[in-house]
Amino acid sequence: MGRSRILGPLAAAWFLLTLAAIVIATRMALVDAPTDALQGNVFRIFFYHVPHSMLSLVWPYVNLAASVGFLYWRRRDPLMALNADALAIASAEVTLVYATICLATGMLWGRVEWGIWWTWDARLTSMLLLWLLYVSYMMLRKLSATGQTQTLAAVLSIFAGIDVPIVYMSIRWWRTQHPAPVFMSGDPDAGVDKSYYPAWEANIIAWAMWGLLLLGIRYALERRRQEREQDAALKAIEDSLEFTR
Amino acid sequence: MKLSWMFGPTMEQRHLLYVYVLVWVVQGGYAAWIGWQLWRARRQERP
Repeated sequence: MGRSRILGPLAAAWFLLTLAAIVIATRMALVDAPTDALQGNVFRIFFYHVPHSMLSLVWPYVNLAASVGFLYWRRRDPLMALNADALAIASAEVTLVYATICLATGMLWGRVEWGIWWTWDARLTSMLLLWLLYVSYMMLRKLSATGQTQTLAAVLSIFAGIDVPIVYMSIRWWRTQHPAPVFMSGDPDAGVDKSYYPAWEANIIAWAMWGLLLLGIRYALERRRQEREQDAALKAIEDSLEFTR
Repeated sequence: MKLSWMFGPTMEQRHLLYVYVLVWVVQGGYAAWIGWQLWRARRQERP
């Protein structure tokens, strides 16, 4: 039985499970979670904004690990290097999707709560920097034709990996516009009410499952592109040998 | 499940709706784009 014959049904089952998890989590966010006493129903943005923001700080580490793997294997094991590079580009795109949603939903929430779309606050600025780093990563992968594109992209992902802890710590180091940490703050009186936890947990699990699905599809796609490229290169060599005979 | 409170003229209602629609559109759009490309690549591979 071929690999795709096992992976295909598995991916379909994972897709259906994830879709069900997202529908349940969205229902919990919009219906089951209580209305916030201060912000009212607009607080329900929290259940989409926070999981996407947290996950947009997780995927860059997948990208970083894959990039470091690529740099390690590129001269030792070309096949492993290709696998690592495919995972690196897949995780970079997923990061960009999650970071875009984090910024856009944050702006929509900020306009209601703060009266402004944007401010150069430490958290917002460091998150924008992370987004810009991944936009440049994608542009480099798309437009560079040096033959060293993967290596340059891997180095860029190390810079992005350095920005992630700065984004995470920004609301602890600098007290500016963005609210203080609502989870793992160390203060039992700080943060959101416990009654919001089930909906928040359901959403972070559902969107993490979705992210893994996207990562898997994009990885499979990139591996196929690499294989096609290798086949074309091999065929070109064979043709040139045929020509010289 | 009544969600009629989401559809209203106030900025709070509109922005909450925009957030939920935006997330589904961006995530669904990206998934559809890569899913379609994978489907096309697999179809090209068939002899």
